[in-house]
Amino acid sequence: MVAIADYNVREKSQWCPGCGNFAIVGALKGALAELQIPQHQAVIVSGIGCSSKLPHYVNTYGFESLHGRGLPVASGIKLANNRLTVIDVGGDGDGYGIGSGHFLHIMRRNYDLTYIVHDNQIYGLTTGQASPTSQIGMKTKTTPHGVVETPFNPLSTAINGGATFVARAFAGDMAHMKEIFRQAISHRGFALVDVFQPCVTFNKLNTYDFFTKRVYKLEEQDPKHDTGNRMLALEKAYEQVKTNYERLPIGVFFKEDRPTYEDTLPQIKDKALVEQPLAGLDISKALDD
Amino acid sequence: MDFVFKIAGQAGAGVMITGRMMVKCFTRGGYNVIGYPEYPSLVRGGHNTVQVRVSDAQINSPRRECDLVIALNKDAIFYHMESMAQGGMIIYDQLIDTGRFKLRPDVRMHALPLSKLTLDVGGTEQMKNTAALGAALAAVDYPFEMLETLIREELARKGEEVIKVNISAAKAGYDFVKTNGISFGSQIKPVHPERRPIITGNEAIALGAVRGGMKFYAAYPMTPASSILHYLIDKERQFGIIAKQTEDEIAAINYAIGAAFAGARSMVGTSGGGFALMVEALGLAAMSETPLVVALVQRNGPSTGLPTWTEQGDLRFALHASQGDFPRVILAPGDVQEAFFLTAKAHNLSEKYQIPVLVLSDKFLSETVFSTERFDQSKVIIERGKLVKGPLPALAPMARWKRYAITEDGVSERALPGTPNGMHVATSYEHDETGFSSESFVMRAKQVDKRASKMKKLLKEMEPPDVFGEKENAEVTLLTWGSMKLPALDALALLAKKGVKARLVSFTHVYPLNPRHVKKALRNSGATIMVENNSTAQFAGMLREYAGVKVDFHMLKYDGRQFFAEQIAEETLKLRESGYKGGQRVEVVEKEDMEYYNPQRHGL
Ligand SMILES: Cc1ncc(C[n+]2csc(CCOP(=O)(O)OP(=O)(O)O)c2C)c(N)n1
Repeated sequence: MVAIADYNVREKSQWCPGCGNFAIVGALKGALAELQIPQHQAVIVSGIGCSSKLPHYVNTYGFESLHGRGLPVASGIKLANNRLTVIDVGGDGDGYGIGSGHFLHIMRRNYDLTYIVHDNQIYGLTTGQASPTSQIGMKTKTTPHGVVETPFNPLSTAINGGATFVARAFAGDMAHMKEIFRQAISHRGFALVDVFQPCVTFNKLNTYDFFTKRVYKLEEQDPKHDTGNRMLALEKAYEQVKTNYERLPIGVFFKEDRPTYEDTLPQIKDKALVEQPLAGLDISKALDD
Repeated sequence: MDFVFKIAGQAGAGVMITGRMMVKCFTRGGYNVIGYPEYPSLVRGGHNTVQVRVSDAQINSPRRECDLVIALNKDAIFYHMESMAQGGMIIYDQLIDTGRFKLRPDVRMHALPLSKLTLDVGGTEQMKNTAALGAALAAVDYPFEMLETLIREELARKGEEVIKVNISAAKAGYDFVKTNGISFGSQIKPVHPERRPIITGNEAIALGAVRGGMKFYAAYPMTPASSILHYLIDKERQFGIIAKQTEDEIAAINYAIGAAFAGARSMVGTSGGGFALMVEALGLAAMSETPLVVALVQRNGPSTGLPTWTEQGDLRFALHASQGDFPRVILAPGDVQEAFFLTAKAHNLSEKYQIPVLVLSDKFLSETVFSTERFDQSKVIIERGKLVKGPLPALAPMARWKRYAITEDGVSERALPGTPNGMHVATSYEHDETGFSSESFVMRAKQVDKRASKMKKLLKEMEPPDVFGEKENAEVTLLTWGSMKLPALDALALLAKKGVKARLVSFTHVYPLNPRHVKKALRNSGATIMVENNSTAQFAGMLREYAGVKVDFHMLKYDGRQFFAEQIAEETLKLRESGYKGGQRVEVVEKEDMEYYNPQRHGL
């Protein structure tokens, strides 16, 4: 039996009081415990940012990599040992800005990974610059006259881009978020969970209050929502644009059953790469080619 | 016997494949063979050549002069006339109008109806090169059966029809030469037929990695490193490894770091531009103490530079890449045997010391194909260092395992994900012993020292340079690192013929350098000449910095080509005549200035 407390660490989290990241760690531990994933069988990877400090606060294996590079590190871990549960976390700047190239391509490959983005629509760690998801008009340190760039839409991008599980959660609703995480981790294939995560220090627009007024649960308000219908999912992903952020659906938008990249590799069908012997591979046949 | 062929034609005409076939064919006859390709960065239209040097003596590098050129297009005649040996021969496609060329009276010209020969036996225009190959072998009286057997084996997968028509085309070329009495005059006969392998530097790197336990390779295509990726992807199922083409080089190195963290020996391969993109993550490997091997196959920089030509210009870049101080190793193989064994060794060092290890090659070594001895695989022994096997003792509640424990030799035990009670965080931040990011001044200094202290033991792993030629009392000593060993070895032979007591000191373990090794190799050296394929004598600078040794002369070449042995010997003799006095810098530039990239400029 793995209990939630088993994932606890001694170190105190270094986030601002009230930060949405606290709820995300809590929900993640809850989901891991529900799935009974032993501490040593999970690896939590991240990039760099406030959010990317998360691996330090969950007692599993962790890898806090470089800004924007969590996904390729996580992919390498998964390919080397596909028996592990691999979860990547990071900020919106990390994943949709500097790491966007990896996001686009790693989705296409459909590795069995879970990717959680702490989407606070701002650069937190570097003290408040605009991010790829900052709303039009928002004033930040680097957009004193308001953002003019069209915000990046992670959900529609993922639905179009080959992710096989696309969801959104809100850090103000921990129970719901935990359930989404549980489903995302259980899903075989690339799962994106974009989390509305209020940054209480640098984003005075997208606050808890802002979200509480606007979010609604897809599965409750739209029971007919079919997660297997890509067009419908896209429509939901555009709702924030259509309603100018007035109505923000959360929940599972899209789900698809597709072979993972690992499924296509016969060389790791029976044994993970790391379980195979290193020594003694005879290369003489190749020499004669 | 020392005979040089050159097959030359337009890119896409099959010059490269034909060259490789020829190398194989003569290797099977018991000869030492080198196939040296040159080509511009163009898929079609550029001028491609393969020089095939065949000898019964030890040869190490391409020769400047060619005996027999097989010209598949007019550029081939234009470009190579000057480098023809006295009394050489050009066999060319009859369709080429030679009227506009200045021919040399001593060079014999023979036109062959290559198209007709191939079309008549039911072949296609594409097979002209096969007919030409047959013709070249006939001109030196090499038995046709050798080629026939080879074609059968090489095309086995393509089916009997394809085999038949290729053999017929080759035979047509062979017979045409015989019936028309075209003969070079010297014969090449198989001496002691045996199956020795032929291999490029890149293939040797790939195989050395695999034999050395590499399980994961990631790369983004970039000449001249791409053939490592092609080779490993082609054989990944056979070897039980994963080779992955990623979206860019940043992804490649971060994939490899992830895979290595999980416990798979990992490598990336690239050239300078790609390595530039990997620089940040090189530091990640260093900070997180994740083992990693980087195969850096150099071409000419800066920037895109000369994509398909050679240089040794990235040594200082490899040495200093990434911010901060951290230990690393740079190995630079000087031939295919060293490429195999040093790449395997690189994987051991990277795991034993939990550091990035760079294997530096260049286009010249990596894409030239050499006949060689079978690798003695038993010499590759896998050492994984302080890798934790099995579960660790239970941790106190909420505690983490001390992955970065401060140790005497700087190396801490490494537990892989999946190991019970080994939980820790690897991070790019400075950290404490459990991997928790820490800004304690004391811990920072301790971790810097811990990482740096690996160098002490590492230095003992560095092998001394190899010494060739005059070991006791040399009049002059050539120094090389990496691939310049090859032309320098041949230069040594040329100098010996002139009665020069010369030595060669060839470095493969270029960093860290052991000053004692350097000084010992240079005892009674006479005048010293560093032979480097770059414009600033980068390794000479390193010798000064790390071994306190000042080399007398810097012989440098950075025009795109490697040194030819003849050039090294010639310049050394000039220095000798001057009593080894004069300016430190000796530059070598190709005299025949052929711009392969853009043949139209020559009005062809
Ligand atoms: C290559 C590189 N560029 C810039 C930085 C500085 N940097 C650190 S975190 C960050 C952005 C943080 O924003 P986000 O990714 O959204 O995460 P948050 O802090 O909001 O959780 C930046 C620009 C860096 N660490 N590395």
